[in-house]
Amino acid sequence: MIQTINLQKLFSTEEVETTALNGINMDVKDGEFVAIMGPSGCGKSTLLNILGLLDNPSDGDYNFYGTEVARMTERQRAQLRKGSIGFVFQSFNLIDELTVYENVELPLLYLKTPPEERKKRVEEALERMSIMHRRNHFPQQLSGGQQQRTAIARAVVAKPKLILADEPTGNLDSKNGEEVMKLLGELNDEGTTIIMVTHSPYDAGFAHRIVNLFDGKVVTENFHV
Amino acid sequence: MFRNYLKIAFRSLMKNKLYSSINVFGLALGMACSLLIGLWVKDELSYDRFLKDAESIHYVRVNFPYNGETVTNNITPGPLQEAIAKDVPEVAAVTKFNWGDERLIKVGETAAKEKGHFATDDFFGVFDLPVLAGKPKAALAQPNQIIVTRKLAEKYFPATAGQYQLVLGKTLQLNNDKFYVVGAVLENLPTNSTLQFDWLVNWKEQEQDWMKTWGNTSFSTYVRLKPKTTLAQAEMAMKDIYPRLAGKNFETGVPVLQPITDLHLYADYKNGQSVGGRIEYVRIFAIVALFILLIACINFMNLATAQSAMRAKEVGVRKVVGALRSSLIGQFLSESILTSLLAVVLALGLVWCVLPTFNEVFGKQLTLNLAEPMLWLIMLVLVLITGFLSGSYPALFLSSLQPIKILKGVRLQFGSGPALFRRTLVVFQFSLSIFLIVGMLAVGRQMNYLRTKNLGLDRENVVYIPLEGEIANPKKLETFRQEVMRQPTIVSATTTMALPVNVQGSSGDLSWPGKDPNLQTNVSCMFVGGDFTKTMNIKLVDGRDFNLDSPADSSNYIINETAAKLMQMKDPVGKEVNFWMGTGRIIGVMKDFHLNSLHQAITPLILCFDGRNTSYLLVKTRAGQTQQAVADLNQLSKQFNPNYPFTYHFIDEEYESLYRSEQQVHTLVNYFGMLAILISCLGLFGLAAFTAEQRTKEIGVRKVLGASVSNIVGLLSIDFLKLVLIALVLATPLAWWAMSKWLGTFAYREDLSWWIFGVAGTLAILIAFLTVSYQSIKAALMNPVTSLRSE
Repeated sequence: MIQTINLQKLFSTEEVETTALNGINMDVKDGEFVAIMGPSGCGKSTLLNILGLLDNPSDGDYNFYGTEVARMTERQRAQLRKGSIGFVFQSFNLIDELTVYENVELPLLYLKTPPEERKKRVEEALERMSIMHRRNHFPQQLSGGQQQRTAIARAVVAKPKLILADEPTGNLDSKNGEEVMKLLGELNDEGTTIIMVTHSPYDAGFAHRIVNLFDGKVVTENFHV
Repeated sequence: MFRNYLKIAFRSLMKNKLYSSINVFGLALGMACSLLIGLWVKDELSYDRFLKDAESIHYVRVNFPYNGETVTNNITPGPLQEAIAKDVPEVAAVTKFNWGDERLIKVGETAAKEKGHFATDDFFGVFDLPVLAGKPKAALAQPNQIIVTRKLAEKYFPATAGQYQLVLGKTLQLNNDKFYVVGAVLENLPTNSTLQFDWLVNWKEQEQDWMKTWGNTSFSTYVRLKPKTTLAQAEMAMKDIYPRLAGKNFETGVPVLQPITDLHLYADYKNGQSVGGRIEYVRIFAIVALFILLIACINFMNLATAQSAMRAKEVGVRKVVGALRSSLIGQFLSESILTSLLAVVLALGLVWCVLPTFNEVFGKQLTLNLAEPMLWLIMLVLVLITGFLSGSYPALFLSSLQPIKILKGVRLQFGSGPALFRRTLVVFQFSLSIFLIVGMLAVGRQMNYLRTKNLGLDRENVVYIPLEGEIANPKKLETFRQEVMRQPTIVSATTTMALPVNVQGSSGDLSWPGKDPNLQTNVSCMFVGGDFTKTMNIKLVDGRDFNLDSPADSSNYIINETAAKLMQMKDPVGKEVNFWMGTGRIIGVMKDFHLNSLHQAITPLILCFDGRNTSYLLVKTRAGQTQQAVADLNQLSKQFNPNYPFTYHFIDEEYESLYRSEQQVHTLVNYFGMLAILISCLGLFGLAAFTAEQRTKEIGVRKVLGASVSNIVGLLSIDFLKLVLIALVLATPLAWWAMSKWLGTFAYREDLSWWIFGVAGTLAILIAFLTVSYQSIKAALMNPVTSLRSE
């Protein structure tokens, strides 16, 4: 379970100061599927990065599964992030020099998972995302949908509690987008917490709850069933 | 995990083949270059250290006060060795031998000139050389025995096939005269030995009365000190030898010792003290080697940094999926260490390939001994240092990036610190390149000057024949000379004691009426036969040449203009002087000619007319008919001197050999200059690529706003040209100073002129522009849509 209290984020250059987040209070329960929506520049991605422990807030508190993380160092955040959060990006962000298999294997390498266990789990994840037949291909040899399925496989292979998705269908056509959303839905059904930033009301329909941001503030929250 | 690193490292190497090869090749080139110089330096420093107890062996020189200064004689008179042996208890052994002589050695049909020494009995007490067969010490004590090296044994007794025991007892004929029995076989002397000979015979076999006088300085003397005796103690003990024994004119001599291990590198003496010598070159090249290695490392680092910008996404992803900063640093470091390992392997290969050529050019026997642990240690250190240096910046910089920024596609902003650093490196590299270009031009110009300088005598078409055997007999020699001159292919011939381009003999004995009794003089002197000035085409400004038909000429003299000036004679012809041949008259004055290398100013010279004290027949051939003339000489030599093989050399070869060490420097400067430029270009190329990459967006925007390709190329090139200009400003005074210093060692030289710096600067700018323009044009031709979309 994660909770933010009065989360602030300021970006300052020499001349100007921009408020990206302005007092975000937000709770996400275990097993929830939350969509964050809002216009360009409203702070969606900034919020997601802070929730994903990639960035620190300027002020406020962030409780991540019982740990206060808002003022942690980069190193501490990296330790905590490892294995507990999976990321899915709009632009897939696969490493071009590694094959599908090796990309998916990467998080387990950093977790120092033993080789046999690693092989088993990578294959499971590939099987699950139906890209086993492409395991020895490099990212450039795959379609967008296949790349995103690889990215999701990589996000889930370490069995994280939380998956953060930043416009996961943004670079995909509708058919592949639909498929990716179904996969995320299934993962959520199995108990993984998902927070997703999206522009698409259709995609947001897969979530239990939609948080609307505007100018760095939460303006409304809609609950689905 | 490490396998994953290796995989990535290998794949990213393969992905950017151009970059990778520039990077690896540049580093390998730099390493190979410094490795080569390193081997050379090591060899230079190793001279004579192979000798057993080398540190107790010393070379003897003698200091004399002269006009308020001290001059050092590098060779010694014969009696000194006996005096040391008798009176200096600090010395365990002392030996002397004549200056390396070439003598004819003959066994059956095989006959050739071989270098060797006549040495005194205790030679092996001083030099404990490796023996293959026999007892050298006992053999040298025998008047009829000879000691040969393995080389000679194999050459003259091939049938013994490496069984040197069988060579013992065989006979050799020396100089067509006496037969000697081989008493011992020595191992060949290594090239890093100042001692070089192939045979040894007892000193007494050639000793003549003049060798027993203190006034004749001709021999090399070496001592071995007793254990625990210092050089100072031994010198102290030798101090009274000259005052006690040497007699009038020589009582001021002071023997000084030099450790044999310093002999090769510190042979120059000034005012009685060693002031260096070849060590200067060794130091310069050691520094050059370090610089080249440094430049190569810097480039490697620069290129790695530039390339790492392309790895940013990978870093971001790795961080997101759980990589800690330390593991990323580890990854980048292991990658650069891997690359430098590759470069070292390549460098070893390169050295392996060029070593034979290098050895040939520099007359060395350098080897790359892979069994030597030191080599591996150096290589390992090199790999680690280069790897760490070049990997550290990308490792530290990239691993510190925030993953969200990278993954958002925010273009990497390298700070201004590193940018300044990179610029400084470019300036440094180009300063060195310009410095070396100036060196190449200035040294080349001086070499050309040396080659083409009018010496005041003819050195073209002059052949010289060493006089030995029958034609060493003065009576026969004159008949031979007359016969030679009768050949239509030959203009003239003369006999001399020394070669006129390298006159070594000098004397303080010249006196003339009215000479200031306190004035010490040192004049060069030469014994010549008839037709000397005619053969060498030396101009007589007054008087005449020696004449065979004038008996009085045997005590008359010819001088040069400098000698006339020394004696303050307005009209020297007919004036009386006293020299070795007694009191006589000056019969001719020669226009000054260069009688030594152009390092030295022209000295006063006096010629004595003597047909007996001669070593060479100098023959001026008709231009264009040299080949026929040599054939004619060969014919005559067979007729007059049938027992000796005909040997001949050219005076201009002898002249060029005076500058052998300069020639080597010239070659080295040329090679390393070009290498340094090449390596600098590689670095600049990488940097240009990096800058172009960093400024893609700017270029895109400029193009959208209407900039032409040439605008963009200009924009990108001008920055680099500025750096090269700064380098030019920095390098010019340094190069000026260094080259002036080098040229200062020549009394006659082509002074530096501004255009050399102009050419060096233009060349550097041109090279830099060509290197940068490839990247600039590539960047300028890029479609702005692509470069802007990525933002």
